[in-house]
Amino acid sequence: MVILEARGVRKSFGGVVALSDGNLRCQQGKITGLLGANGSGKSTMSKIIAGVYRPDGGEIWYKGRLVHYRNPSEAKRDGIALVFQNLSLVPDLTVWQNVVLGMEKSRGIFLDNQEAKRIARDILSKLLPGLDITKKVYELGPGEMQIVEIAKAIAEKPQLLILDEPTAALEHTQVKSLFAYMRALAESGVAIVFTSHRLWEVMEICDDVTIFRNGATVAYIDFNREEKDPETIIGHITGETVRPSLAERTSGEKPESCEVLLRARVRSRVKSLRDVSLELAKGEILGIGGLAGQGQNELLYALAGSFPGVQCEVEIEGRKIVLRRPQDAIQNGILLVPGDRQKEGLFLEHSVYSNMVFPKFGSPRHPVIIPGKKYREECEDIVRLLSIKVSSLDAPVSTLSGGNQQKVVVGKWLSFDVKVFLLADPAKGVDIGAKRDLYEYIRRLARERGIGVVLYASDHEELAQYADRVLVMYEGDIVATLTGEDISEEAITAASVRAR
Amino acid sequence: MDAARKSIVVLSFEVLKRALLQPETSSLLMFFVLFGITAILQKNFFEAKSIVRTINSFAPLILLAMGQAIVVVSGGIDLSSGAALSLLTCVLTTVMRRDDPVTGVYALIIAFLVALGTGVVNGLGIGYLRIPPVIVTFATSYAWLGIALFLRPTPGGESVPWFRVFYNMRVVEGVPEVLKSLGNYVPPALLLIVGACVLWYVVSRTRTGRYIYAVGSNIESAYVSGINTGKTQMLACMLNAILIFLAALFFVGQNQTGDARMGGPLTLRSIAAVVVGGIALSGGRGSVYLAIVGALILGFVGRIIFFANVPNAYQTLVSGIIVIAAIAGPAYATLRRELR
Amino acid sequence: METFLKKTSPWYGWILGSWFPVQYRKAFAILLLTVLLYVGGGVIVPGFLTLEQILLTLKLASFIALFGLCQMIVIVAGGGGLDLSVGYTATLTAVLTASIMDGRNAYLWVALLVALVLGLLVGLANGVLTSYLKLPPLVVTLAMADILQGIVNAYVAGKAITGRPSPVLVTLAAKLTGVFPNILFVLIPVAVLAILVFERTKWGQVLFGVGANERTAYLCGIDVKKVRFLTFVASGILASLIGLLLLGNMGIAFKDMGSNYVMPSIAAVVVGGVPLTGGGGSYFGVILGSIFLQTLINLLTALGLGDAGKWLGFGIILFAMLSVYAGNRRSR
Repeated sequence: MVILEARGVRKSFGGVVALSDGNLRCQQGKITGLLGANGSGKSTMSKIIAGVYRPDGGEIWYKGRLVHYRNPSEAKRDGIALVFQNLSLVPDLTVWQNVVLGMEKSRGIFLDNQEAKRIARDILSKLLPGLDITKKVYELGPGEMQIVEIAKAIAEKPQLLILDEPTAALEHTQVKSLFAYMRALAESGVAIVFTSHRLWEVMEICDDVTIFRNGATVAYIDFNREEKDPETIIGHITGETVRPSLAERTSGEKPESCEVLLRARVRSRVKSLRDVSLELAKGEILGIGGLAGQGQNELLYALAGSFPGVQCEVEIEGRKIVLRRPQDAIQNGILLVPGDRQKEGLFLEHSVYSNMVFPKFGSPRHPVIIPGKKYREECEDIVRLLSIKVSSLDAPVSTLSGGNQQKVVVGKWLSFDVKVFLLADPAKGVDIGAKRDLYEYIRRLARERGIGVVLYASDHEELAQYADRVLVMYEGDIVATLTGEDISEEAITAASVRAR
Repeated sequence: MDAARKSIVVLSFEVLKRALLQPETSSLLMFFVLFGITAILQKNFFEAKSIVRTINSFAPLILLAMGQAIVVVSGGIDLSSGAALSLLTCVLTTVMRRDDPVTGVYALIIAFLVALGTGVVNGLGIGYLRIPPVIVTFATSYAWLGIALFLRPTPGGESVPWFRVFYNMRVVEGVPEVLKSLGNYVPPALLLIVGACVLWYVVSRTRTGRYIYAVGSNIESAYVSGINTGKTQMLACMLNAILIFLAALFFVGQNQTGDARMGGPLTLRSIAAVVVGGIALSGGRGSVYLAIVGALILGFVGRIIFFANVPNAYQTLVSGIIVIAAIAGPAYATLRRELR
Repeated sequence: METFLKKTSPWYGWILGSWFPVQYRKAFAILLLTVLLYVGGGVIVPGFLTLEQILLTLKLASFIALFGLCQMIVIVAGGGGLDLSVGYTATLTAVLTASIMDGRNAYLWVALLVALVLGLLVGLANGVLTSYLKLPPLVVTLAMADILQGIVNAYVAGKAITGRPSPVLVTLAAKLTGVFPNILFVLIPVAVLAILVFERTKWGQVLFGVGANERTAYLCGIDVKKVRFLTFVASGILASLIGLLLLGNMGIAFKDMGSNYVMPSIAAVVVGGVPLTGGGGSYFGVILGSIFLQTLINLLTALGLGDAGKWLGFGIILFAMLSVYAGNRRSR
């Protein structure tokens, strides 16, 4: 039975069109996948259905009625629940308080806390057994927070559950148990909408998939009737007819020299990262893999001198240095592209130009007065080089799509004398086109200019495709090294899981 | 035997150190220390009369600090509480007529409504219009001042005799003897404070109470969870207004006048009390009752200055230093711990 | 140059034309409103719309604007920064230097030195407490104001404050050249310098960055703590110097000289388009905001409503302004 049908939905944000023609159909008891590049409108679509945004046009039919939700509460009352990518949890309240937040039951005028705890325990014991529901949310790890987020939506007993990139922060095992729970939910009649950038997840769990591109729905594939062909799907997502094979390892030529560029030794006093050492050759792309949250980000921060409490001794091009602050790393050409581009890599309200020139000001030798003209030209060159789609250098960076934002984060370092590029999950949430641009550019940098790259990718497929060597991390330690022929997505994942 | 004793000393030292690290417990500790010092310095401290006097002098700040704490926990701050207090005293003394006891009742009702009104306006600015609370309550403080000056260009006004029951039950005719003798030990000020605590206790166990913390902790999350954040913040402002109303009752009961400018200094002291008590200015955390501790700390500091014969001129100087010490202590300790 | 867009759409943008750089649109709206106030005021109150009145307003507004610069420096760098101690810093400087100068130019240099040292000390204290000990600036600068007030009280205790400012200061701050208030000769170069520093130097851009996103700034190699620390030092020194000007303007020093400027300086910053969280805005806007506020107060006074009407009107209008300028109604 069709529970939701959206036709011709439109939405713009201050002149930027997010959705021009959104169509979606969801059936009870079925899991519908939403696929599309960043900026394709799929996220906006989810949020409109859940009442977070009001559409500028189009129709949404829910349970046979035309609906116009003015806020999330109205949608919730109708049985639609949305689980966010960016969390909707309140850090200073406990897990159980968060699970019932917004729908607390009361006895008289007082809140019924016993009931709330019971509900929370009920759901979480199946989703994440062993979680202490009296812990405050700020004490939890990102994977646990995501699970609580999902539990919160489930507690509303929705008839339509929308999961917007729920697996981004989860480990492999957590994803598996989430999928099992989703199957059970669907069987009990709930309709589920599931978005992810990971193709394999969508193909595994979804019954059908709707694909968005450039703000419009472009394809609908019912997996029960048609073949699950990744190539076709990718074709719809990127809109290209010639598609590069995903599974092929495209490492191109190996780096010729094995000259060691960087020798790093990390001495850590924090739990999330152990004492590790690594070497990086000129022109080498060193991949860091493993389950999410095993210290990969921390390792990169340490290598960038941006992790207080962790000391990193580095020998670069023969010189021995201790990295204590970010400036130490930057002065030596060790540059970091951080994991969360919006929170760590950009000034969202500032212009593209401002963002790109900012790192220069960190150097004490920089002149007081800014050479505006020269910098503008430099920025224009970089925008062209990286194919950053932007109308003008003065456009605020918040108006760019995820992929282009990421390009700005990378671009701001290009005027430096880069020796080592540290990339923390650069392609997370980036559409396939921009992803390819970025990776190709990085690889060119490595091969042609002898720059060493340390690449952390949560997606093992990316690692397998681009890395020359892969270090697998587990609980802050490097537990496996894969080289050459041994590198494949399955091998990396196996090594990540085997570490247990 | 010695080893056991030593380990007890070490253990209690550890407990003490850890207690000092939390802002909440360190404020309690500071309170006890100051309480002790005041008790020592002031010879008749434990006499009933002086306890009553102590409670009476601290009452307005305690009430205002509690109200401020509620607003702060909800994510805001109120720079207009002193002005609102002044306004309410002016309203009360303008509506009341000395010889007509009924006007006292009218005054209560009208002042209560005015108080709620100030809460609504502040709540509108903070919660619905989302103007930064510092600046919007700055604006409203002028509005309250203006209205207060309109009612009472100079301090004065009239008060109904029975109004003094809010200050001192023994002085009023017609109060049964039982209450009067109670009044020897339990000043009305204390009842007002207890009333405020009961009010907050009830509210904190309701949906509104939880939402106040949620909104203060992360307003975006609260919003997408379906909480009406505007209403919640407005309710917090209105609760604050009720507590200010209680303080106004006390003030008029004590002085029988209304003064458009009396509340000014209390505003910033109420904020200091909240911070000294260990509540985070960023919101979402901390028990409102800690504001009482903070107010008492500030009050005792004033007492100590007085009894140590420090000249009046140095009062603000010392209280400023105390505030910094009170918040710097735990912060410094946390810093040391992080660096180790 | 970088722009700062508010979340609510600027409906006045099309009035002023899109050929104005965005960050100045808000400021020009304030200018428009100020002009409206004058025109309206001139109609209602005879004698309001005269050159003398305007210049007098500019003179008074200049002090707000100067304090506004202190606030802007601290506020732009973010982290909840604001400086409530500027008023008493100025007052203390005025009180201390009044007797040093004693109405002569000879010791002006000494006074300047004292001012610099005092401002530096206050700024250092504020900076260390807020930046390195991570205490909330609201409370720290508030307590600092209390401490400074206490020092003023102690210094003054009993005796009247003696001393007068040097004639140079009086000329600068109080006197006019023809009809033109000399203080503008201070404000304008300061403004030009400030705007240049904010927009065209690395210091200014670093401030905006730190205020916009301190994590990003940190990862770009900026020492966020040091930057914020230095903003308080700058604010303290500036406030102290303004104290000298206040002294010159008033002719004598008295206890509450500076305290009435604190909140208006913050209001001017907010109305001028600088978000209280930092990361954007322009000093030009702050100046216009100061002029607007002063004009408003003058108009309300001139309307003859007395203190009551004046403050009530001020509160209401400021509230209304803020809901347009600083309100952040959720856009869906």
